[in-house]
Amino acid sequence: MEAGLSAGRLIGHPVRRREDERILRGRTRYLDDIDPPGAAQVAFVRSPFAHARIGGVGVPDGLEGVFAVLTAADLEGRVRHLPVQGFEGGEVSTEGHPVLAGDEVRYAGQPVAAVLAESRALAEDAAELIEVEYEPLEPVLDARSSEVTMSRWHKVSGDVEGAFASAAHVVRASHGLPRLAPVPMEPRGTIASYDDADDLLTVWVSAQDSHRQLAGLANVLERPEESIHVIVPDVGGAFGSKGAPGPETMLVAFAAVMSGRTVKWAEDREENFVASYQGRGMEADVELALDDDATIVAVRARIWADLGGYLMPTTAIPTHTTAMLMCGVYDIQAADVEIVGKRTNKVPTGPYRGAGRPEAAYFVECTVDVAARELGIDPLELRRRNLIRELPYETALGWTYDSGDYERCLDLAAELVEPERRSDDERVVGTGFGMYVERAGGLFETADAELLPDGRLLVRSGSSPHGQGHDTTFAQVAAERFGVGLEDVELRFGDSKEVPRGVGTFASRSVAMGGSAVVQAVDALKQKCEAVEARLGRSVSLREIAEAEPGLRASARFESDLVFSSGAYGAVVEIERATGALRVLRLAAVDDAGTIVNPLLAEGQVIGGSAQGLGQCLVEEAVYDEEGNPTFASFVGYSLLTAAEMPPVLTAFVESPSPLNPLGAKGIGEGGAIGTPGAVANAVADALGGVRVDPPFTEDKLWRALREAGS
Amino acid sequence: MKPSRFEYRAPGSVEEALPLLRPESTVLAGGQSLVPLLNLRLAIPELVVDINGIAELDYIHADDGVLRIGAMTRQVVLERSELVRRRWPLLHQAVRLVGHPQIRTRGTVGGSVAHADPAAELPVALTALGARFHLLSPGAARVLGASELFLGPLHTAREADELLVEIEVPEQPEGAGSGFAEHARTHGDFATAGAAAVVGPGEHAGIALLGAGPVPARADEAERALADGAEPPEAAALAAQGIEDEHRRALCTELARRAIEQAAA
Repeated sequence: MEAGLSAGRLIGHPVRRREDERILRGRTRYLDDIDPPGAAQVAFVRSPFAHARIGGVGVPDGLEGVFAVLTAADLEGRVRHLPVQGFEGGEVSTEGHPVLAGDEVRYAGQPVAAVLAESRALAEDAAELIEVEYEPLEPVLDARSSEVTMSRWHKVSGDVEGAFASAAHVVRASHGLPRLAPVPMEPRGTIASYDDADDLLTVWVSAQDSHRQLAGLANVLERPEESIHVIVPDVGGAFGSKGAPGPETMLVAFAAVMSGRTVKWAEDREENFVASYQGRGMEADVELALDDDATIVAVRARIWADLGGYLMPTTAIPTHTTAMLMCGVYDIQAADVEIVGKRTNKVPTGPYRGAGRPEAAYFVECTVDVAARELGIDPLELRRRNLIRELPYETALGWTYDSGDYERCLDLAAELVEPERRSDDERVVGTGFGMYVERAGGLFETADAELLPDGRLLVRSGSSPHGQGHDTTFAQVAAERFGVGLEDVELRFGDSKEVPRGVGTFASRSVAMGGSAVVQAVDALKQKCEAVEARLGRSVSLREIAEAEPGLRASARFESDLVFSSGAYGAVVEIERATGALRVLRLAAVDDAGTIVNPLLAEGQVIGGSAQGLGQCLVEEAVYDEEGNPTFASFVGYSLLTAAEMPPVLTAFVESPSPLNPLGAKGIGEGGAIGTPGAVANAVADALGGVRVDPPFTEDKLWRALREAGS
Repeated sequence: MKPSRFEYRAPGSVEEALPLLRPESTVLAGGQSLVPLLNLRLAIPELVVDINGIAELDYIHADDGVLRIGAMTRQVVLERSELVRRRWPLLHQAVRLVGHPQIRTRGTVGGSVAHADPAAELPVALTALGARFHLLSPGAARVLGASELFLGPLHTAREADELLVEIEVPEQPEGAGSGFAEHARTHGDFATAGAAAVVGPGEHAGIALLGAGPVPARADEAERALADGAEPPEAAALAAQGIEDEHRRALCTELARRAIEQAAA
C-alpha cells in the first residue's frame, strides 16, 4: 500500500491538539448549546436542610408557564433508586440515591421536586412557590462519629501483630484530606426526548461516556437498553463528576417519557457546587512498624471516609482504591487496612481526579516523613531503603504492580527540585517529597476501524473525550499503525448508536485501554486491506482497496488487568513568618506512565493535575457549617487557583512500558493530583520543623503552626 | 440562577433617575456585584434603575486641586487616568487590585462605594484619602464623609431616594507618598485583609484597614503616632491593635506596615 504523505512515526511525538482550533473558535457544541424548540426547562426544588423529614409537598395551582411539577409520589413504582456499585471484598450497602427525596432529605441540595416550565426563569419562579414541609433533624457532619456505615473493607495480610510487637520503632500519625468540589468549567446537563411511535428515548447528556449513562438509564427507568439512544456532545470537563448518571439526569429522562415533551436541564453553578458529587473527605490513623535498619515491616491503617447522605453509583469505589494502595511504593510484607465509609449529611462523594489514590499517597507519604523525622533519617534515604525494586510485584494487599522504576523517579525528582531548607527573620523554606503508585486502566475497551470510500480511516472509539485530547492521541496511534497521515484519520465518540459498546473515560485509562483497542482494530483492518491487495495482485492505494472492497471494517475489544503508573513529586515551599502565607516556589513532577504517545499532551495532563493538587493544598475545601449548610455554593466561598498562583512545574517522564498492552502505556491523567499534596505537605512540615498540618494550608493555620514550631 | 421578575428602567439623566428611586428599587451601575446578587435571588427588587446611560456621571477631573470622580466612572478609567496616577496614586494602587481586568472594565467607582462590601479596595483607599461622597435626591443634596457613609457590610447611609453622584477627593500634600497592600487567597479574589496609607511630609498621615471591621475605618491612633515620628512597624501595630483574632491582627499589622513603608519610601 502507498503510505500517506506524512505517515511515519507518530507515537511519541509532541503533536499539537488538533481539536483545539474548533474549541478555541467556539465551534464546539456543549449541552446547553443544544436548544430544542419548545423544550420544557427544568428547575429543581432542593432541600435547604442537611437533614429533615418531609411532611408533604404542596404544589399551588395556576403556576405561570408551568407544565408539570414532579415529586417522589409521581415516581413511585415507575423509577428505581440509583444503583450502587460494590467492589471486591467490600461490604457495601445496596440502598441507592433516590431520584427525588421521599420522606427524608439527607443533604442540603438534595432534589425534592422538579418543575417543568416554559423557561428556566419561570421554572425557578415556580420552584420558590412549592411548599415543602420540612421537619429538621440533627445532622451528622463528622465521619468518625457517624453511626451509619455504608461501606466497609478490611484486610489483614502477613503477621502484622508480630511485626508490630517486635518492631524496633513504631510510628503513628493521623492525617486528613478535606472534601473538594470538582468544578468542571461546564456544569452538568441533560436533554431528553421521547418518540412514542418507536418507543425510543433519546438522551443528550454532558458525560464522560455514553455507556454508563445508557446502563444507568436502563436500570433506573426499567427500559431495555435498545430503546435508549445516548448522545454525549462536546464536554467541557468533568474530573470524574460526570461518570455515572445522577438523579437529575434520571428525572429529565423520566419526565420526557411521561410528558412526551422534550425536557432540558442545564445545571447552573450553584447547583453544581451543592449537588454534584465531591471528592476526598477521608481521615486516617496510620502506623508503621520499622526494624533496626529502618525497613518498614508492617503497615496498619484505619481510614474513615465521609461519604455523604447516600451512595451514588460509584461512591464506594475510591474507598477501595485508597485501601488497596496503602503499601504505596514500598516493599511492605504485612498490612492491616480497614476503611469504613460513613453516612453524613452532606452531598455524596465520588470519583474526583485521583479518586482514592491521592488519599492513599497522602496518608502513606506523610507517615513515611513522620517516620524519617522520628528515626532521624533523611526522608529520601528512608524511601530508598524501602522502595519496591523488582517488578512485577504483588503487594501484601493483593494488587500486582506491573512495571515501574520507583527509585529512578525519586532520583529525578530530587535532582529537578533542588532541595532547600533555610530560615531567617522573614521566612522559612522547606522541601518535601511525595511518591505514588496508582491503579489505571483495567476492564476492557472497544474500537471499530473502517476504511472510507476515499481511502481515509474512520475510527469509532468506546472511550470518549472531555478534555483529554483523544482526537489527537488516538489519531496518532491509528495513523502510525495504519501507515497513513494524521489528517487521514477521523475519530468518532460518544454516540451510543454509533460507537461500539465500551467502558468509558475515567481512571486514567484512555490510552492504555482505548488506545490499545484502536491498535487492535486498526491492525485488523490493515490485515484485511493487505488481503485485498494480495488478491488484486499489485500495489494499490487505499482508495483503490476501498473501491475493490467497499465497507471494509474491523473491530476490537481489548481487555487487560490494571496497570500501575507511578511517580515522585518534590516541592520547595516558603512560609512568611509575619502572615503565615504559603508560596510554593517550585514543584518537580516525575511520572512513569509507561510509553508516552504524546509528550506535549502528557505534560499538559501533569501540569493540570498538579494545579488541582496545588489547589487542594492552597485554597480548596468544601466547608459545611455546623448546621450542614454548604458555605461553598459559589466562587466567593470556593476558590480555584489562577495562573498567578502556579509555581514553575518541572516535569520529567520515566518510561517503563507496561507489559499488559500493545502500546506499553499506563495512565497520566491523574498523577499530578495524586503526587502533589503529599510533596507539598511534607515540604510544609519540613519548613515548620516537623509540625504537621493538613490541607488546605491557609495562612492562619500556618501562622499558628509557626508559633507552635517556635515555642 | 435566574433573577426574579423586576421592572427595568434606564433613565438618560440624573434628573430622570431621581424620581424613580424608592425603597423597592435598586440602582444598576456596573453590575459586577448586583447582577450575581440578582441571579442568586439574594436581591429581589421590584425595579432596577439602570444608570449606565447617564453620561453626565462619567468623568474624572481636578478642580482647584480637588479630584472629582463621577459615580459612573468605570474602574478601568480610574486605573488608566494619568491625573490620578500622578496626584492621587493611592487610588491607582488600590483599583488595580479590584477583581480582574474584565471586572474593572464594567465595574464603576460609584458602584463599589455604594455597594459597601467590606472586602472592597476602593472604599478603603477613599477612606484613607478623606474622600467625601455627594448624594442627590429630588430637591435635596448632601455630602458625607466616609465615617458617615459606611455603616456596615453592604450598608450605607444612602437613603432609598438618594443617588450617589460624585466622589470628591481632597488635594494631597505636596510630596505625599502612598501605599496599598492586601492579602487575597488567589489573584483577583476578594481580599481577606488589606491596608491603605498616605504619608505626607510633615504631619499628614491617612491609614485605613480592609478586613479589620465591618466598615473601612481610619486608624486615628496610628496616624497620630506616625505624625509624631513613630516608625512604620510601631504605627502598623497601633492600626491593628483593636482586632481580636490573633492571626487577623498579625496579618493586618503586616499589611499596614507594608502600606506605610511603601508610602514613606
